[in-house]
Amino acid sequence: MTQRSPVVSDAALRQGRVVYYEEHMAQVDRVLAEFLRRSGARSAYLIDKDGHLITKAGEAGDFHPDTISALVAGAFAATKEMARLLGEREFSALFHQGERDNIQLSLVGNRAILTVLFDDSTTLGMVRLYVSEAVSRLAGIFERAAAQPGREGAAQIDPSYGDSVQRTLDNLFK
Amino acid sequence: MVQINFARKEINCKLVYYGPGLSGKTTNLEMVHQRTPEQNKGELTSISTDGDRTLFFDFMPLDLGEIAGMKTKFHLYTVPGQVYYNSTRKLVLLGADGIIFVADSSRAKLAENLESLDNLRENLAEMGKDLSKFPLVLQWNKRDVADAMPVTELNERLNAFEAPSFEAVASRGEGVIQTLKELSARVLARISSTEQAGLAAPPVEERPAAVEPVEKPHAREAAVQAQVAPPPVGGFQIERNEVQSEPRRREPEPRTLPLPAQSRVASNPLEEMGVAACAGPSAAAASGQASLVAAPAQVATLERPRAAQARPAARAEARAPAHCHGVPPPAESYRREVRVISGRRHGAPMRTDSDRSLVVGLIFGVAVAAAAVFAYTRFFG
Repeated sequence: MTQRSPVVSDAALRQGRVVYYEEHMAQVDRVLAEFLRRSGARSAYLIDKDGHLITKAGEAGDFHPDTISALVAGAFAATKEMARLLGEREFSALFHQGERDNIQLSLVGNRAILTVLFDDSTTLGMVRLYVSEAVSRLAGIFERAAAQPGREGAAQIDPSYGDSVQRTLDNLFK
Repeated sequence: MVQINFARKEINCKLVYYGPGLSGKTTNLEMVHQRTPEQNKGELTSISTDGDRTLFFDFMPLDLGEIAGMKTKFHLYTVPGQVYYNSTRKLVLLGADGIIFVADSSRAKLAENLESLDNLRENLAEMGKDLSKFPLVLQWNKRDVADAMPVTELNERLNAFEAPSFEAVASRGEGVIQTLKELSARVLARISSTEQAGLAAPPVEERPAAVEPVEKPHAREAAVQAQVAPPPVGGFQIERNEVQSEPRRREPEPRTLPLPAQSRVASNPLEEMGVAACAGPSAAAASGQASLVAAPAQVATLERPRAAQARPAARAEARAPAHCHGVPPPAESYRREVRVISGRRHGAPMRTDSDRSLVVGLIFGVAVAAAAVFAYTRFFG
């Protein structure tokens, strides 16, 4: 196994990347929990446009959260292209209706998609009503977080992280 | 774009397999999936045509487990290789952290390889990224074909950037893992050599276009530079070189007020209470509602039977890409929504008495009108 020098540092990793800190994610989680309580929806996933899951709340489904995140981001990206063809900037909401379960997707600011799973224990109207409220609050949290100065030391990545990743890969595919 | 999530203690990267049609991108992913231990992988998901050709993308999460306290995941994607799926390729390419270009070694496929590489360069350029500075690994696949070009010639013709390259026979799993590991190393090297400290993140769409990523050639040098870089700022940081090809536009104000809900209900009570669709497709379109149905496509999970070598190229091309249908017919939608309202079980109650009476009044009005029409046609028609 080849030994490599550390190629990633905490500071380096955080520069120019999407970073979510616990403090703000706690606020996000509170908004999602309240949204679920009021709307009667089963679960909510906050997903970034690149297809990475940011956070989730409510019942865990039988599916892999990463897979649903990738598909949701793909669906949203595809409809953005459709919107462009129609002269729209993008569609801010999508609705997928199933026999039992439904999915409501709503854009949060410019980076995230709120994905709500609900069944017939509530209604599309109720979900939409509270989604719009939740989206505004989430967008507000994102904006405030982005406007805040950094908090060095609030969270750390081990300086040996990059080296460890390489070793893990080497071990994984021996 | 790498996502670092301290709340979930996760680091996520997006790696994309690119290349001409039938060069073996999906086969690469299938082999990675096959060789990854069960606990380290998620499902392999394919959005493909009935003819088993990639329509949108294949996807698999590769979970490296907890490393230095952070759960680390690579999200592996493939793009559809056919020339006419370029808009789809661009969508998959958005936010990519690294690319594996899978070339077909056959001499007969050289032109397709060159075209696909040019297409990759153009698509990245549209996103403000330079292929020569992007983490890239080339894979010379199908080394077992009779008319395989020599590696030196392939490098001459296709590898102007002197990116690392690997020989492979993906259908047998040869060279697949080496290629992936090399790209992973390059992505990590690039992470360590990011250009500037993140600033408070305004909306991505408002950033000026064509900010070039600055990449250092060697990982060690990059690591040293990274150690002395200024501290990051901002709770949410966004990649500096994330560039949109669209003109700068300000985000429109939200159409709806967050609260109070009552005033919103009063403005359009039916819509808010679940009968939005009864107003017909135009209203649904106005609210940005769409229903996506990938009619000829299938979202398959794992082990879809593929006979990569035997796939006739033409069969899948004849099939149309995913269709977007509008909302269901108004009458049907109305029935469904009304049923949902009357069948409300333990959902939240309607918000006010006036809301309830307004809806009841409207339904009663519609019923009276229908009775009147029926009576008129019965006796005077």
